[in-house]
Amino acid sequence: MDPIPSLSRVPSSHSGAGPALSPLLAVQTLLSPSPNAPFPEFQRAGSKQAGTPADNYHLARRRTLQVVVSSLLTEAGFESAEKAAVETLTEMIQSYISEIGRSAKSYCEHTARTQPTLSDIVVTLVEMGFNVETLPAYAKRSQRMVITAPPVTNQPVTPKALTAGQNKPHPPHIPGHFPEFPDPHTYIKTPTYREPVSDYQVLREKAASQRRDVERALTRFMAKTGETQSLFKDDVSTFPLIAARPFTVPYLTALLPSELEMQQMEETDSSEQDEQTDTENLPLHMSTDDAGPEKENTSVLQQNSSLAGSRNGEENVIDNPYLRPVKKPKIRRKK
Amino acid sequence: MNRKKGDKGFESPRPYKLTHQVVCINNINFQRKSVVGYVELTIFPTVANLNRIKLNSKQCRIYRVRVNDLEAAFIYNDPTLEVCHHESKQRNLNYFSNAYAAAVSAVDPDAGNGELCIKVPSELWKHVDELKVLKVHINFSLDQPKGGLHFVVPNMEGNMAERGAHVFSCGYQNSTRFWFPCVDSYSELCTWKLEYTVDAAMVAVSNGDLVETVYTHDMRKKTFHYMLTIPTAASNISLAIGPFEILVDPYMHEVTHFCLPQLLPLLKHTTSYLHEVFEFYEEILTCRYPYSCFKTVFIDEAYVEVAAYASMSIFSTNLLHSAMIIDETPLTRRCLAQALAQQFFGCFISRMSWSDEWVLKGISGYIYGLWMKKTFGVNEYRHWIKQELDQIVAYELKTGGVLLHPIFGGGKEKDNPASHLHFSIKHPHTLSWEYYTMFQCKAHLVMRLIENRISMEFMLQVFNKLLSLASTASSQKFQSHMWSQMLVSTSGFLKSISNVSGKDIQPLIKQWVDQSGVVKFYGSFAFNRKRNVLELEIKQDYTSPGTQKYVGPLKVTVQELDGSFNHTLQIEENSLKHDIPCHSKSRRNKKKKIPLMNGEEVDMDLSAMDADSPLLWIRIDPDMSVLRKVEFEQSDFMWQYQLRYERDVVAQEEAILALEKFPTPASRLALTDILEQEQCFYRVRMLACFCLAKIANSMVSTWTGPPAMKSLFTRMFCCKTCPNIVKTNNFMNFQSYFLQKTMPVAMALLRDVHNLCPKEVLMFILDLIKYNDNRKNKFSDNYYRAELIDALANSVTPAVSVNNEVRTLDNLNPDVRLILEEITRFLNMEKLLPSYRHTITVSCLKAIRVLQKNGHVPSDPALFKSYAEYGHFVDVRIAALEAVVDYTKVDRSYEELQWLLSMVQSDPVPYIRHKILDMLTKNPPFTKNMESPLCNEALVDQLWKLMNSGTSHDWRLRCGAVDLYFTLFGLSRPSCLPLPELGLVLNLKEKKAVLNPTIIPESVANNQEPVISTNNHGQSVGFQNTFSNSQEEEEIDMDTVHDSQAFIYHHLNMLERPSTPGKEQSSGEINMHPVSAAPLSVFSKESNSSKHSDHHHHHHHEHKKKKKKHKHKHKHKHKHDTKEKEKDPFVFSNSPASARSIRSPSLSD
Repeated sequence: MDPIPSLSRVPSSHSGAGPALSPLLAVQTLLSPSPNAPFPEFQRAGSKQAGTPADNYHLARRRTLQVVVSSLLTEAGFESAEKAAVETLTEMIQSYISEIGRSAKSYCEHTARTQPTLSDIVVTLVEMGFNVETLPAYAKRSQRMVITAPPVTNQPVTPKALTAGQNKPHPPHIPGHFPEFPDPHTYIKTPTYREPVSDYQVLREKAASQRRDVERALTRFMAKTGETQSLFKDDVSTFPLIAARPFTVPYLTALLPSELEMQQMEETDSSEQDEQTDTENLPLHMSTDDAGPEKENTSVLQQNSSLAGSRNGEENVIDNPYLRPVKKPKIRRKK
Repeated sequence: MNRKKGDKGFESPRPYKLTHQVVCINNINFQRKSVVGYVELTIFPTVANLNRIKLNSKQCRIYRVRVNDLEAAFIYNDPTLEVCHHESKQRNLNYFSNAYAAAVSAVDPDAGNGELCIKVPSELWKHVDELKVLKVHINFSLDQPKGGLHFVVPNMEGNMAERGAHVFSCGYQNSTRFWFPCVDSYSELCTWKLEYTVDAAMVAVSNGDLVETVYTHDMRKKTFHYMLTIPTAASNISLAIGPFEILVDPYMHEVTHFCLPQLLPLLKHTTSYLHEVFEFYEEILTCRYPYSCFKTVFIDEAYVEVAAYASMSIFSTNLLHSAMIIDETPLTRRCLAQALAQQFFGCFISRMSWSDEWVLKGISGYIYGLWMKKTFGVNEYRHWIKQELDQIVAYELKTGGVLLHPIFGGGKEKDNPASHLHFSIKHPHTLSWEYYTMFQCKAHLVMRLIENRISMEFMLQVFNKLLSLASTASSQKFQSHMWSQMLVSTSGFLKSISNVSGKDIQPLIKQWVDQSGVVKFYGSFAFNRKRNVLELEIKQDYTSPGTQKYVGPLKVTVQELDGSFNHTLQIEENSLKHDIPCHSKSRRNKKKKIPLMNGEEVDMDLSAMDADSPLLWIRIDPDMSVLRKVEFEQSDFMWQYQLRYERDVVAQEEAILALEKFPTPASRLALTDILEQEQCFYRVRMLACFCLAKIANSMVSTWTGPPAMKSLFTRMFCCKTCPNIVKTNNFMNFQSYFLQKTMPVAMALLRDVHNLCPKEVLMFILDLIKYNDNRKNKFSDNYYRAELIDALANSVTPAVSVNNEVRTLDNLNPDVRLILEEITRFLNMEKLLPSYRHTITVSCLKAIRVLQKNGHVPSDPALFKSYAEYGHFVDVRIAALEAVVDYTKVDRSYEELQWLLSMVQSDPVPYIRHKILDMLTKNPPFTKNMESPLCNEALVDQLWKLMNSGTSHDWRLRCGAVDLYFTLFGLSRPSCLPLPELGLVLNLKEKKAVLNPTIIPESVANNQEPVISTNNHGQSVGFQNTFSNSQEEEEIDMDTVHDSQAFIYHHLNMLERPSTPGKEQSSGEINMHPVSAAPLSVFSKESNSSKHSDHHHHHHHEHKKKKKKHKHKHKHKHKHDTKEKEKDPFVFSNSPASARSIRSPSLSD
């Protein structure tokens, strides 16, 4: 189980090189050079020369993996392999191991631990469709080749993160093995406090200028994106007027309150119930309308009984010829 | 015409009585805008030898006429299609007006005439002699009607119902003949059966009771069956078909409201008030609403805002509003009330003749006024009466009088009672629209005068009597002779008054009804201290046009220190001076309270008044019981007292107007006090704002303190803590809302010593706009914002221009830049969040025109033209068109004038067409005595053509064209036309013409004849006579215009003669009068008419050729000729009369 801890260290070891990348992404960037041209990849990854300690470290690991692949190939009876094939296989094994590491880490974190245990690995392997039972036998196979341990290279030094302030020591009730508190600036709120604006004048001023800015921006945008008219022949941009477009049904926009106004109305006057159904009326629907006036009628009666004079005798039966059903044609009229 | 008046009652001008009519419209096609149907009239002959039945019909294509199932021959002739035939050379309006009046007379149903003359088949003559019933069945269709029925078909996807397509009947006065053949008179009543087959998704709303609705066999259409059992005139029949939403009035189930899709919530709100109007009228008239049901229909592109028909009214959809709208609410309610008043008087009770119209308009206007008084209060009512009075006075003084009850003796034109007018008042259809509006206004004012005389109680009794007589008559289903009780006549009305009240109102009637003109008083006074007498001098001007002499009582109210006293003076022929004894001796007891007219006692600061006189103020005719204009002189302090302490709003308004002439600190104080007084009527306060602005401008050098009204506005509407910020809007108090709207508009009129709007005021208004916040308001602020833009426009002063440099952005005044910024933003926001009725767009357009006019922005009509297009809201279009009209005037643009005139001819909305002419008349590009490059012959021809034949489908439009022609050219021959030819010159021309044999066809030789005559008329007679050899009667009738009525009568009797249609066809503009295209006459001699039209075409080409030649020359001769003129001067060049122009250059030869 040698590779696992080392792989599991990959993300943490890498965090110094590319703090912005997520661990998995970092692995991928780091470990996915195209097989034929590893060096240019590395160069692209950021370092100008391949000689930084971190690069050396990673190169060494990868070389070890290549050796592993080569020995496995030999074990399987291959005598030679194209470099490209070896690289591909290296890539695959690397991905596989990385995945094991990633999943194992997830499992361990899921159970609120920081270090993966064997069972995490086992679950991971099972999850990946690997028959764990066969593993001990495989490990003890006879033709197993032994390769030399990877050269001991120093773990690259993670550049110290900028420390701001003193890390808070654990309070007594927290066991010492728990990770340290992060830098204070990450959790302590910085008091950039200002008096809340409550001055009426300023508020009004602000509301007014905000609205004006929004309106201006909006209308300018509309003017920029659509057809415009101008008051000055030589200048179309200073006072752009959105071009007048004729409507097919001009009275609708002119008479119906805009949505904004409707909303306002609801806010300011909640008592007035506005039946939504009315606005959705179909051109002609005597049956649904039947109920409309009646409803209004009763509510009016409640509100204002004095007005409901003698005319309003029977509110339940409205006999209006326009509400009567349309008759079927008489057959006898046919000649 | 020679109808007998008085006790005899009504005598029908027709030799038959119509008792029942069926109108059946089987098919309405919205796509093609066509209608197919038939009518069936049941008539009883009243004379034995009835062999011809004359009916009214315009536009309709008549397929077939049957009388009692027998095919009947018919003839169709409409002289109003083209008033002056074959383009007589006359171009003077006098000639036209006479001809037009004659043409209208010739088809006037009140004179027993009609366009359609049906010959009773000889088989039925015996039947007729027994005075037995005749059923006249007429099949007709209408194709793309230009008047009478208006189709609104939005151009979009979907079927007609989804598109909100609708159609409705419309017109000015009796215009029903435009959509079905009928006796189009208000005096021929009958019962009705109306059937309309429409698409299943549509509703047909018409008069009377909806009996049933039946599907057609294919279930895709349904037929609405209406019965109107109350005898009704055809002119009161109407129709509206569309995919209407239906709302049964929750208070009155027999009342149904209709509106276009999606507007139901607005309809609910708008009509929620109607039942109160019903209750009011029924109560004061002590009479139930006469019809069994009432329908209101709100439609788009309305001809007029309110049109009343029997048991239904058609309104403009633009009257609908939501609960958030303040300003429209009273206006809409007024319209509803007006419509309902006309249901009683106008629809249910009809009139005997045109000269009785004033009674109906008077009564309906009067009871509408009573409703106003009850609903809006006495102040509003008196204000309204004053406003109407001022209007009618101004109109009469301008045009020379409005006659309510024209009596036409003898039938000769000589004693025309309205010779001062450029149109005949004999017929409603020849009347200028403005005149008719003023006529209605005067009618209700005169009713009020009658009320003053006989008391309101008697007045209402008279109305009740008329109504109960009518309703008794209307229930006599089978006694049609009784139906004339439903017609009101002037004499009948006056008789009722004298029966009910026992008072003689004849002098009043003589003064105001039988006579036109108003009274003009000039008053001044002196106080004679020795005699303690007020010496009042009242002079009259009764020589100016539009005035008349007043003799009779006149009330004068004098407010003295001891109280208010009424005096009734007798105005007589020669007495100018009137001595009025005063009650108060002096002003010794200073501290005493002063009693006012209404019994109130107030403290006054009397230091301003004259120490010697006890007079505080004097009012002449305070009750407006004379139709008059009063110019009264009293000193400024008296006006100030009147403004402060007189409780009558009319007096206050008069005082405000008078104070404009007294720019003193005392006036300023009085006005500001009124402004601040919350008990004061809001309209008075609004008026005070404008007066204060004027006074401040006159006092500019001595004015101290902040600009007028600023501190007042700040105190009333701005925040306590930060006075530069206006409070968030709260319009719950309408009085202060109106004041808040008005004050900035008035303030913007302030000017500093440099005659500029003070920077402080401009910034103040800009701040109002900036800080305007309507989020917490229950009401919409669209009118308020619109008025703020108006205020910005008011603040604009003419640009300082250095030798007419071109206006560009760089030299834009910084203040104007700020204003433009706001206008731009407002106008753009309207596209995203449109305001109610687009009030803000309207104000922006007006403001832009103001900026253009003042030289801040380059004058350019392009923007307005785009807003004037069809498809914008009508208010926006009108505002834009107004700007174009103004541009046309200021920049003398021929191109824009042409654009406007082409819109008059082709715009789909009749109201717009009418309005353009109206605006051009009110703001004409030039007038008759003015030199203008626009005034040229082509324009004369164009306008002449427009009123002669181009507007035959719309009476109102034609009269509008006549008005415009009058404004531009006057009554006589337009000055830009070449002078009538001289014989010598003509001979020269003839010689030239001879060189080219194609120029003058067959009539060359004949043209020699008129050469001798220098008289226009004689000349044209001669000319036409030469034609008549070949063309016979068609030429004659136009020739003898003066009694063409007689001619047409003659003409129609000669049944073998061809009718006119063939002739119209030849006149180039076929689409102007589609009827003419229909070969209606079954007798029509094909060969004759075709020959005729050939001839005309021939002519037409010749003239074109010749005219071009002439034009060319013309250009060289007259320097003022512009390029535009060349562009399209031949729009109507097919006028044979333009032959005259050929000769014009030779004048200078």
